[in-house]
Amino acid sequence: MRWRMRACVMAALAIWPAMQARAQGNGTDDGQWVMPAHDYASTRFSRLDQINRGNVGQLKIAFTFSTGLLKGHEAAPLVVGSTMYIVTPFPNYLYALDLNRPGAPLKWKYDPKPAAASQGVACCDVVNRGAAYANGRIFFNTLDDYTVAVDAETGAEVWRTKLGDINLGETMTMAPLVADGKVLVGNSGGEMGVRGWLTALDAGTGKIVWRAWSTGPDKDVLIGPDFKPYYAMDRGKDLGVKTWPPEAWKIGGGNVWGWISYDPELKLVYYGTGNPGPWNPDQRPGDNKWTAGIFARDVTTGQARWYYQFSPHDLFDHDGINEQILITMKVNGKPRKVLLRAERNGYFYVMDRVTGQVIAADPYGNVNASLGVDLKTGRLIPNPDKVTTQGKVVRGICPASPGMKDWNPAAFSPRTGLVYIPHMNLCMDYGAMEANYIAGTPYVGADVKMYAGPGGNRGVFTAWDPGARKAVWEIKEDLPLWSGALVTAGDVVFYGTMDGWFKALDATNGKLLWQFKAGSGIIGQPISYRAPDGKQHIAVLAGVGGWAGAVVAGGLDPRDPTAALGFAGATADLPGKTTGGGMLYDFVLP
Amino acid sequence: MSKATQAGMGGGLLLLTGCAGVQSIAPSGGAHTAAFNNLFVIFLVVCGFFYLLVIGFLGAAILRRRREGDTGVPMLFRAWVALVSVSLVGLAFASWLTDRAMASYSEQGSPVRVRLTANQWWWDVTYFGASHSEDIRTANELHLPVGRPALIELKSNDVIHSFWVPNLAGKQDLIPGRTGDIALLPRKSGVFRGQCAEFCGAQHAHMALTVIVEPEAQFRAWSRRQLATARTPTTAQQLAGMAYVTTRECATCHAIAGTSASASVGPDLTHVASRSTIAAGTLPMGRGGLYAWIADPQGVKPGAHMPYIGLEARELDAVVAYLESLK
Amino acid sequence: MILGLALLSGCDREAREVRGKPLPETAVAAQTSTLFPGGGSAGPEDPRAEMYAENAYHISEGGRLYRQMNCVGCHANGGGGMGPALMDDQWRYGGRMDQIVASIDQGRPNGMPSWRGKLTPTQMWQLAAYVRTLSANVPKDAAPSRNDTMSNIYPRTLAEPEPPSASDPAGAKGPAR
Repeated sequence: MRWRMRACVMAALAIWPAMQARAQGNGTDDGQWVMPAHDYASTRFSRLDQINRGNVGQLKIAFTFSTGLLKGHEAAPLVVGSTMYIVTPFPNYLYALDLNRPGAPLKWKYDPKPAAASQGVACCDVVNRGAAYANGRIFFNTLDDYTVAVDAETGAEVWRTKLGDINLGETMTMAPLVADGKVLVGNSGGEMGVRGWLTALDAGTGKIVWRAWSTGPDKDVLIGPDFKPYYAMDRGKDLGVKTWPPEAWKIGGGNVWGWISYDPELKLVYYGTGNPGPWNPDQRPGDNKWTAGIFARDVTTGQARWYYQFSPHDLFDHDGINEQILITMKVNGKPRKVLLRAERNGYFYVMDRVTGQVIAADPYGNVNASLGVDLKTGRLIPNPDKVTTQGKVVRGICPASPGMKDWNPAAFSPRTGLVYIPHMNLCMDYGAMEANYIAGTPYVGADVKMYAGPGGNRGVFTAWDPGARKAVWEIKEDLPLWSGALVTAGDVVFYGTMDGWFKALDATNGKLLWQFKAGSGIIGQPISYRAPDGKQHIAVLAGVGGWAGAVVAGGLDPRDPTAALGFAGATADLPGKTTGGGMLYDFVLP
Repeated sequence: MSKATQAGMGGGLLLLTGCAGVQSIAPSGGAHTAAFNNLFVIFLVVCGFFYLLVIGFLGAAILRRRREGDTGVPMLFRAWVALVSVSLVGLAFASWLTDRAMASYSEQGSPVRVRLTANQWWWDVTYFGASHSEDIRTANELHLPVGRPALIELKSNDVIHSFWVPNLAGKQDLIPGRTGDIALLPRKSGVFRGQCAEFCGAQHAHMALTVIVEPEAQFRAWSRRQLATARTPTTAQQLAGMAYVTTRECATCHAIAGTSASASVGPDLTHVASRSTIAAGTLPMGRGGLYAWIADPQGVKPGAHMPYIGLEARELDAVVAYLESLK
Repeated sequence: MILGLALLSGCDREAREVRGKPLPETAVAAQTSTLFPGGGSAGPEDPRAEMYAENAYHISEGGRLYRQMNCVGCHANGGGGMGPALMDDQWRYGGRMDQIVASIDQGRPNGMPSWRGKLTPTQMWQLAAYVRTLSANVPKDAAPSRNDTMSNIYPRTLAEPEPPSASDPAGAKGPAR
């Protein structure tokens, strides 16, 4: 009832989409693809339009390249000049392919030689989500907690900096963002009791410039006089300590394993923090700041500007690490700098990125884990029937732990004004139990079993209109969607499925225009670039794995539905539909 | 409390003199037990009176046969029915009043909130502070201020246990998967003994809880000490013990605030030496107890989850020296 | 009457060796390869294995440790996750009791931590006994037919045993962990 009232109030606030996003930073449409999100605004929108709705059906393979690995390939390839760069899952090889020569042969390979033992502390497959390019260097993270800078021309290592310790369960899987001469990186390990951080390294030397922890006292979190959160719930001194039981913040998660966006005008970086640890909520009463929320920070000093918590005292492992798409949009007739976020807890947020105000938060799928977002206080309203607690199995929670959408990024087209969201439709049974902290081992405390949500389809591809606050069209997919999306100025949108279909849809109405069956399931991020011959290409990495595909990549036994932290229950049929094997597919018009 | 009930209670106590001590319902350390004792005395007096009366009537009936020509209900019988009815209603009323009184105790003053989690075979104790960052974790020992109600949340991690501190209140079961509660209102200072009152496995008998009721000021001082992180060791031996405890077998089960040991399977050891017993009332706290317990836990408490580790003498000395310093 | 007494004499309670066999040193030297140049075999199993493998008390203690020591976080209830599945017939480093203990004690290079000095030898043996129940490789009267805790899994004693595969192909299911 309260939700409906709020919906009415919000409906009164008419919001119209602006028909153009402002591509920001160096990621413009020069035909290159220098960072996984394409640009600082994280649009994953390519202005190339040779491939369009009319001719996409003729796409043919230009070349392929095998990575030689069987784990999950979540990365986006990069294209800089006439070279394509691919960073693989563990052991984190960096391949450079020469696009000047036919068949794009291997130019060089860089092997960072990460510690084999790091595989044992990487939750949910040993993936890597990509590299970033700036000033003649490729930057990426290794599973055993090094950030590496490699000369983009020669493949020689320029510097490497150790940032974490695998004996504490720390790993690094995210793609760095290079902004303001700094390489921004974060750690993974929300399932291992790892305290999260975002670190800025000097791009030239690899020295640490600043580190902002996600839990603990204000000086660790880099909260100072500039910190002005919009909502009262996020204000107060040392909330990173006071909203936890004693000592719990030291092992409380909030890892920064997802996406970072950057607004060069405001000089602010935006990124989300992961779930609080352990999953058993009874072991961490309180709001568990600053986990499962979003920070805006000054890129130069690292000082926090604002913060908003999507899931205070998270009950379901709903990390807040998803990508934020930065656009300018008309709200009540006035253009505002906003941030769009298809959040894991099931709501599509439109936020003012200057102040941190939530302008809209609407469910983009089946949500019963919470009753809505109170736009007055900014607080998520928990559903009393679905509150998880130790010693009890709570059934039928939607969305499940990986959320309505996990890390796999959406794309935004300024031409259609729509956000293209590859996501899931999963529900779960959640039994919280006591978790025991032993450094370097899992700190979870939950028996989870996932299954398809209402309708029986496990994946959904939604085109969301952020202005009208509703879905314009959606495609139901049998398997969960774990790949990123790409949209181009030819009004074609691309994504892959876990059984290996790479699909091209009409961006305006979702009509299937073309599809290609890859050798393994696709969980990577497609890209589009202009090759040295002037033609527009589409490239994507196949190679099933990740949390959703761990049942294949890890050779798990799907008879146990709780395998892979419960995801095996939802993807028990996957081993019968695909096998592992990393392969780059590159497409071009004949 | 009326003179009559006091007198009655005196009589009742006389009967129970054999039961006084740290684990007894008689001395009434808590408001609930006191209220219950009063009710008990009322029942005892009323029922005793009727018992004697009935015995008297029975004797009279044996001695005196029925007379010729008696008809109708005799006056005496009517009076008897009236007396019984009034007494029964009176007892019901007394029970109801006692029940109301007991329910009201939890509202007398600002309560201390505690969560008690039963494990085989020890008690995990969490005090909820003003904010969760002021929560206190301890084990097998409950400190309560005099005159303030304590609201205790009861949980179990494995099997059914029962919480029973006879000096303070009645029993309440702890059932896995459910949250129970009980309110206490201690009325006088003292050390009382609680005991698991539901058979819960091999070491059910060794699952005691020490309850220390103390004046408010002392309770606050205790809370402050408990909230602090563990004392940093000073001697080389203690440091060696700390190194062992925080990196070896001990740290896979126990937590010591301020160190890297943060496990929660066994009792929190941050201030272990400030407690009065080891292993839920099995051994007295002290050097001898610590040596015995760590050297051979399965000899002291067979079946307990504390494993035999096989420490060398030097290591054992160091570990005991360190634990002893955790006041 | 005499016959009845004679029958009852068989009803000994299973012994609870609560101290285990307290050998301070972890005397486990189980070989995990199945290749012996010029022929040979892995040799007889450690004699302690028998004492733990068929004992309901040790299996139950192993189950408790499996959850409390976070084995469940990586190996789930046998299906695996960060670590490999334990309920199937694939054993990268051997599925014999002493080989499992060796894996727990020594750790394995691709992510299995070494628990030496963190768990006692008795606890490792108990864990190994429980791990064998996940593939139903213990007598049905020793493994419980229901779980002590809430769980989403099928009781192990009702499953068909999956004895370690004769070919024992380490890494048959993807790269070795």
